[in-house]
Amino acid sequence: MPSTPSNQGRAQRMDRFMAFTISGGGILIIGAVLAMLLFIMKEAVPLFVPPLVRSVGTLQAHRSGGSWLDESGKAGVLVSRAEGLRALRFPEGTALPAPGGGPPLPWQAFTPPNPRGECLVIGADGRLSIARLAWSKPPGENDPAQWTLEPHWQGGLPLAQVPIELLHFRLLEGGGLGGGLTLRVVARTRDGIVWAESPLEASAALVWKPLPHDPALHPTTAVWSGDGRNLFVGTQEGRLLDLDPEAGSLLSSADFGEPIQSLGFVLGQQSLLVGGALGKLGAYQWVRVNEVFQLQAFHGFPRLHGPVLGFQPSQRDKRFLAWTPSQAVVDHLTTERRLFSVQLDGPGMATLAPRGDLILHANDATGALRLWSLDAPHPEVSFGLLWGKTHYEGYGKSEYVWQSTGGADDFEPKFSLVPLVFGTLKGTLYAMLFAFPLAVLGALYTSQFASPRLRNAIKPTVEIMAALPSVVLGFLAALVMAPLLERLAMEILVYPFAVLLLALLFAPFWGRLPLTFRNAFGSGREVLWAVPVLLAGLWVASLAGPWIERTMMDGSYRTWLQTAMGITYDQRNSVVVGFAMGFAVIPIIFTISEDALSSVPRSLTSASLACGASPWQTAWRVVLPTASPGIFSATMVGLGRAIGETMIVLMATGNTPIMDWGPFNGMRTLAANIAVEIPEAPLHGTLYRVLFLSAFLLFIFTFILNTAAELVRQRLRRRYESI
Amino acid sequence: MSRLAERFRQGGVFVWLSATVLAFCLAMILGLVGFIAAKGMGYFWPSPLVQVQTPDGPVLGEITGREPAHGEEPAKTQFRVGNRDIYGQDFRWILTAGLSAPEIPQDALLIERLEYGPFIGRIVSVSHDGRLVATGPSALSEAANRLPETLRIRRRIQSTEKGQVGDLNRRMDRLRLSRKKLERGGDPSALQALDAKDAVLQTAYDELQAGLEQSRSESRSWTLSLQTVDGQVRELPLASVVRMVPANAMGRLDKLGVYLSRLWEFLADDPRESNTEGGIFPAIFGTVMMVLVMSVLVVPLGVITALYLREYARQGWMVRAVRVAVNNLAGVPSIVFGVFGLGFFVYSLGGTIDQLFFSDSLPTPTYGTGGILWASLTLALLTVPVVVVATEEALGAVPRSQREASLAMGATKWQTLWNIVLPSATPGILTGMILAIARGAGEVAPLMLTGVVKLAPSMPLDGTFPFFHLDRKFMHLGFHIYDVGFQSPNSEAAKPMVFMASFLLLLVVVILNLFALNLRRKLRERLGGSTF
Repeated sequence: MPSTPSNQGRAQRMDRFMAFTISGGGILIIGAVLAMLLFIMKEAVPLFVPPLVRSVGTLQAHRSGGSWLDESGKAGVLVSRAEGLRALRFPEGTALPAPGGGPPLPWQAFTPPNPRGECLVIGADGRLSIARLAWSKPPGENDPAQWTLEPHWQGGLPLAQVPIELLHFRLLEGGGLGGGLTLRVVARTRDGIVWAESPLEASAALVWKPLPHDPALHPTTAVWSGDGRNLFVGTQEGRLLDLDPEAGSLLSSADFGEPIQSLGFVLGQQSLLVGGALGKLGAYQWVRVNEVFQLQAFHGFPRLHGPVLGFQPSQRDKRFLAWTPSQAVVDHLTTERRLFSVQLDGPGMATLAPRGDLILHANDATGALRLWSLDAPHPEVSFGLLWGKTHYEGYGKSEYVWQSTGGADDFEPKFSLVPLVFGTLKGTLYAMLFAFPLAVLGALYTSQFASPRLRNAIKPTVEIMAALPSVVLGFLAALVMAPLLERLAMEILVYPFAVLLLALLFAPFWGRLPLTFRNAFGSGREVLWAVPVLLAGLWVASLAGPWIERTMMDGSYRTWLQTAMGITYDQRNSVVVGFAMGFAVIPIIFTISEDALSSVPRSLTSASLACGASPWQTAWRVVLPTASPGIFSATMVGLGRAIGETMIVLMATGNTPIMDWGPFNGMRTLAANIAVEIPEAPLHGTLYRVLFLSAFLLFIFTFILNTAAELVRQRLRRRYESI
Repeated sequence: MSRLAERFRQGGVFVWLSATVLAFCLAMILGLVGFIAAKGMGYFWPSPLVQVQTPDGPVLGEITGREPAHGEEPAKTQFRVGNRDIYGQDFRWILTAGLSAPEIPQDALLIERLEYGPFIGRIVSVSHDGRLVATGPSALSEAANRLPETLRIRRRIQSTEKGQVGDLNRRMDRLRLSRKKLERGGDPSALQALDAKDAVLQTAYDELQAGLEQSRSESRSWTLSLQTVDGQVRELPLASVVRMVPANAMGRLDKLGVYLSRLWEFLADDPRESNTEGGIFPAIFGTVMMVLVMSVLVVPLGVITALYLREYARQGWMVRAVRVAVNNLAGVPSIVFGVFGLGFFVYSLGGTIDQLFFSDSLPTPTYGTGGILWASLTLALLTVPVVVVATEEALGAVPRSQREASLAMGATKWQTLWNIVLPSATPGILTGMILAIARGAGEVAPLMLTGVVKLAPSMPLDGTFPFFHLDRKFMHLGFHIYDVGFQSPNSEAAKPMVFMASFLLLLVVVILNLFALNLRRKLRERLGGSTF
């Protein structure tokens, strides 16, 4: 075709256009693929972003001694002696319709409302009532102006003596005749700290009883335990006491170190918060240590300035509010992280909203209300928690634990990545123990001794093995191999040794055969002659296994493991995983090692053989060391595969995140953990982000391994070229 | 002694040892493939129904396993006794010691049913509308004669349910959506029109249901009276019979017929009984669709990247680094790609698409949840390195002389690429594609996060507009293996199905790989050189 100018111009334009498209497209695709890493990282980063604190406003209000915030943070209730209950809209501070009813004003004493909105009030008539605060909201109505506060009053108990201050109370189910609620309350009177118990609907006067304690101690404050049976008492002398007031006995005590000013609980009522008169903050729990229950200090927090005036737990997680006359802080129990800290200008009463995202402080002297918002979406995670030992609720000591979800709302999530990394390493180790020797020896034989025809048959077979879907391997491992191993453990353990022995015995026998026969049938085809050895190994193992079990293990290896070694045998264990994952790794190591071994320059092997070295000596002393970087690189790639393998581990282990190197129990790996947990992880929740973090780790780790392998391989290639 | 030491040093022994190790590896591979093939393929062959006397009464069933005595445990035999509705479980381990000599009764019968797994026993009589039609030996032949007609009716019912009823349901769904839209701010006349349409659909629906009900009652009128080996009698409507196999009275040819019909059912039918029986057609179909979409995405992506890296980018450390990075992506665990697919494609991209285009059906997500498009995209990312590496290798293997000849003739770079380089690189690109498909077909972990389900109500490709539904969830062979083998309540009974599915998956992957490796070998032989 004659090339006309227009034709040529079109070709030129096309050329430029394609150059642009392909370059642009190529860069875009490469960018997109590499942006994967950035995206995964982006999803994990908010875990480590510091909390955001904003001052929402300052409003003037009348003096109050307690407050209660609605779930939404848009409305709240202030409690004061003079005016009783008042409803406010936040953050504007405008008044909402106030409810009537309740004990006659002015009130003589009250407890600040607890997070559920319950507060105890002594009216002007000297009777004790309990209020349950609740908003009545029209369905779907988000405007607090349309809400009405509906306190539900109960009680009206006459009192023998009006206390100075009500400290704490619990309502217990059952008790009294009608099976109604029983009230247990502690209060401060002129005679010190006292307690009382009565059915809520009783008509008899409430009689205060003194606390049973050592007269040398001076109690300052007290709270009831979560079940309302025990009383935790703080003293001037810095002792924390656990009393059973009914039996009048001291169950346990601990030393806090400075005068105790206030006590409180974290969500779940398991962890007791203790605040000192000098600003010390600590958490205690009632836990079994060495077979006895006792109070145990298990968390400490940075000191505050001045005496700790009180605590308020969040109703969502394990964060809590603590305040002094000059400072208010929100700390997280598990991680001991300080999420929030502001300066205050005098003593007062602080409140944490149920979601833990709003903090209200009412100044006693001025009556000023200050409001802050706190945005801390992932307080339960910190670097130390992910990688270090943490003391969790209900545990006797600090441990590495992964347990992301629990049955109850007040569950303390445990996000230590250490057991998962441990599991990953353990699975990889067992797989490599199995795969490495087999793959490297097999590759050595294939590259150095196998006849070319045999080699051409072996290589594709092994490459096919690399393509076996891991779900098939996992299925076989779990449903075929695991039961088989359980039944024939001894036989299977004996088998490799039997084959080794037989191979050693067979070799000298072979050496006696005539040379012509050996050359005709053997050289380069030893692998075919090894088949009878393998079969004979089966026979030997089937005899020797039961014999060993009978004579050395009293007939059953499982009972023997249990009694003699103290090991329980799990059916889906590390040996099974090692075998199945080794199966997936062998072809990778084999192929790359074989390539490296067979690329060793001929000149080297020829020189060695010419000097009188035997073929094996050449292979072992010359070829293997020369190609060792290639084998190293193969191992790296194999490691990468084993670390990230998901389906085999998911199916062939019990997925229990334990930390034990034993071969007869399971593990949970990072990859399997992602597969197990991410379908149930709420979008952008803490678990979701921690799983993205583990994906990021897997990515980085395998990427480094593979890059190292590639670099080593490139260097080796250059070295081969230079020889 | 010194001769022995000398021999040892020379290392003939070690050559043997390494040969043994290699033989062991090869034996493992071949043994595994053979084991799966035997287990999977053998399952459909009707095995004899064996009757034995045990201390607890007679047992009739297929022998499915034997365990020799081991240690303190005595020898046991496993029977598949069927009749899950009567015995509670399909399989039973019985001590071999207490068994009488096995008999092979000619009248023993295995009936595959729609529910409760197979029935194993004998047929007593056949009745129609409560009247006895045949008893004794003639009952079986009478039932066998009636069965094809019943199966035809059932197939008709099924296709109506799937086709017309499903279609009506979807149209009603669409009506509901437009009603929702109108109610927010539409005129009442349009609403009335909708009501009228709704009424028409409803009558059509009722008519269909009436017709279906008639066919159902027609097919229910024939019943079989069956007796188990221990004398319990059960009535079974012929309508819930899938296949009757009097295994002991069958010749080889009959058995082959049963074998083929079971194989066909496995390949072409929907699953039953929470995936433990019936076929796996939807899983095969889903796998193929997913792989197709993936290939459509991955080949252009991979080829453009390779062309850029090899032909257009200035060769330097930057391109070398990118090349290493892209190659190494192949070694990044597949679950990481799954996590990325879930976070980016499903939640970010899908969530945005839903808000922009499908806000009517929110909060029910359309694209904001796993689906075949997201799964395919994720796998395309996963397999891009495979295609890039293969294409680069093929591009590099095109002789320089050919390019230079073309350029010397005045062809532009693109003309050279398009007319000279790409045609001779095609086998290489094809190899890459096949390897990518093989890798994609076998992956499960990323799919679990991006759209695979154990039972998909509808296929990603069907007769309703727009025919190809990229947002639908799908079934997948690999996930089927995981799900049936591990999540199924009756995994012992489902094991053969899993073996068969594994075999199928293995077959597909191995054949694709063999094909690709062969192609690559030919290519390398033609061009020479090795790739290490």
